[in-house]
Amino acid sequence: MQELLGRLRALDPTASQGLRVIACFDELMAGRVGTDGLLSAAAALAGRPVGLRRGPEAAVVRVGPDGRRLAPADNSPGGGLVSDDLQLWIERTGEGEGVNDAIILERLALALQVRFDQSRAPAPRDLALLFDDTIDVAVRRDAATRRGLPSGVRVRAIAAPLFAVWRTHPSGPEDVVATDFGPVHAAVVPAAADVAASPLGIGVAVERDDLALSFRTAVVALRLADSAADRISRADDLGVLAETLADQPLRPRMDADEEAVARLAAHPWGIATLDALVRSTSVRDAARIVGIHHSTMTSRIETITAELGFSPVDGWARTRTGVALLRWRVRTSRVLELPAPVQVPAPA
Amino acid sequence: MHSSPPGRTVFHPELRAALAVIGGVFPPTVTPDLIPFMRRSYASPPREELLAGRNVRVDDVEVAGWGAALEASVVRPAAGGSGAGILLLHSGGMMFGDRFSGTDHALSWVEEFGVALVTVDYRLAPEHPDPVPFEDCYATLEWFASNARRLGVDPDRILVAGASAGGGLAAGVALAARDRGGPRLCGQLLDYPMLDDRGRTPSTSAFDGVGVWDRVSNETGWRALLGDRVGGADVSPYAAPARAEDLRDLPPAFIDVGAAEIFRDEAVDYARRLWEAGVDAELHVWPGAFHACDIFAAHTTIARAMIHAREDWLRRTLAD
Repeated sequence: MQELLGRLRALDPTASQGLRVIACFDELMAGRVGTDGLLSAAAALAGRPVGLRRGPEAAVVRVGPDGRRLAPADNSPGGGLVSDDLQLWIERTGEGEGVNDAIILERLALALQVRFDQSRAPAPRDLALLFDDTIDVAVRRDAATRRGLPSGVRVRAIAAPLFAVWRTHPSGPEDVVATDFGPVHAAVVPAAADVAASPLGIGVAVERDDLALSFRTAVVALRLADSAADRISRADDLGVLAETLADQPLRPRMDADEEAVARLAAHPWGIATLDALVRSTSVRDAARIVGIHHSTMTSRIETITAELGFSPVDGWARTRTGVALLRWRVRTSRVLELPAPVQVPAPA
Repeated sequence: MHSSPPGRTVFHPELRAALAVIGGVFPPTVTPDLIPFMRRSYASPPREELLAGRNVRVDDVEVAGWGAALEASVVRPAAGGSGAGILLLHSGGMMFGDRFSGTDHALSWVEEFGVALVTVDYRLAPEHPDPVPFEDCYATLEWFASNARRLGVDPDRILVAGASAGGGLAAGVALAARDRGGPRLCGQLLDYPMLDDRGRTPSTSAFDGVGVWDRVSNETGWRALLGDRVGGADVSPYAAPARAEDLRDLPPAFIDVGAAEIFRDEAVDYARRLWEAGVDAELHVWPGAFHACDIFAAHTTIARAMIHAREDWLRRTLAD
């Protein structure tokens, strides 16, 4: 895996390997993987043997990058990371520290501590804490202050898949955060900051106490990024709809309007036509947007009307259609599943 | 949460964690426009990195392929040799990879079992559609058998091995060697082989967008190889060995596959049909394993068990 991390760096120098290491240990903890599995993963990520000693009297455990236990050494080499009674190290011989050694040891230490002390739940990391409004506001403010986010400043949460390609990297605090849709790369940036990634969801601007709302709208925006022109999707562009969708992004079931959209999606023209109808002010406009004749649009509207049970172009019906279309897109988005092709310069 | 597609099984937690890293290099869904990316990301590492700390010698050779010369390598123990040989056909969906992509375990066999390993740059689809990749591989087997003595190999102790697309090619080479009266193989090692262009098993559709090599990737590979013939009546069993009607008189087979990958059902079916045809076959279906997890996450418990079982079969099959 260390070789894969190296390849990742060669393919996309801006990709954060640290975030992938974090995501890897998040999954190991969520899967309750035991000591040997944790040490194996750490050694594989480092490409070098990893050692562990629990307390000064305990035996040293060493695991190689192929996941096999190595003969125990009499002494720990010193250095590495010491946390409570744990000592952890990556065995390097002269070549100096690896780029990811610090983050690997930090995540390994946390995972082992949780493993050894079953009563101890992993503390939510600072950023995940800011995005959770069930947490006491005083606790969130402390965490915000630790991450350099003062009160009275407008900020936004942003969300991207771990494999996003960054053109302008965020300067604020960042982390991997679990969502209903899987782990995302999240960051908090000043409201006016320039960030660009493909794909990317940008949440609404808030003060730090409301970051949970901003994060939820960022995740919804991200789910809609695969239908955005440059794959950057802004909650601001959705206005009141951003918060409406963010209140319950993952609904247990579809309502009748969304089910009708799902059925229409089976037509090759379905989604593009619905989108055009919602965006335009007349049938003629909509026909122009999708580049078809007015009469073809009229016949499509008949099909749509039959599925929805109402005409999509009249008054509130247009709003119902629009919201149903957005809900369906949020539900079925593959933005977190389909890694974007990484644009790489041709080899010289 | 989403309801899972029928037939989907969950990834083992250690393997799930590894996907956080693997996904950046080998995306689950490979579409035709990703082929150039995959050719870079799945290229083998530089030779000195590949061979660091290994006690082997590598000789680059030219092999007469199917109407073209091919680059190949013979990998042997630095000293001695057991007289056994392995023709290795590399992975990469028929479209990418080179003769040293994903070959770490095979290089270990050279040290472990003293085998002479021949690995070849067969030509790749879509630039070279069927039958070029298969015929290049078959020609390499002929070359290996006729040069066996010179390479210190007993011609009766050669087996063909391959993973994924290479596993499909290996099964095709075993079929053709039987049909054409070619070299007598002592075994066929088929790691999670790509056998069936028809994509009609439940497991094929159960892992869209997750793991390594999903339905769409598979369609990309088969279409690159077969063009518009994919799924139709006019596909040779050498290209898609699941289509072979007669599996009698084939060499002993070892088949391993993940329970959580699209090739699960076609691999199990091929093993079942080999038994039916009276062929000796050993089948392992690894729980919670995604495609090629032994290559991408060799440190995990499941991958290590997989590697161990395979080496056990090799030890028995290559014994003199």
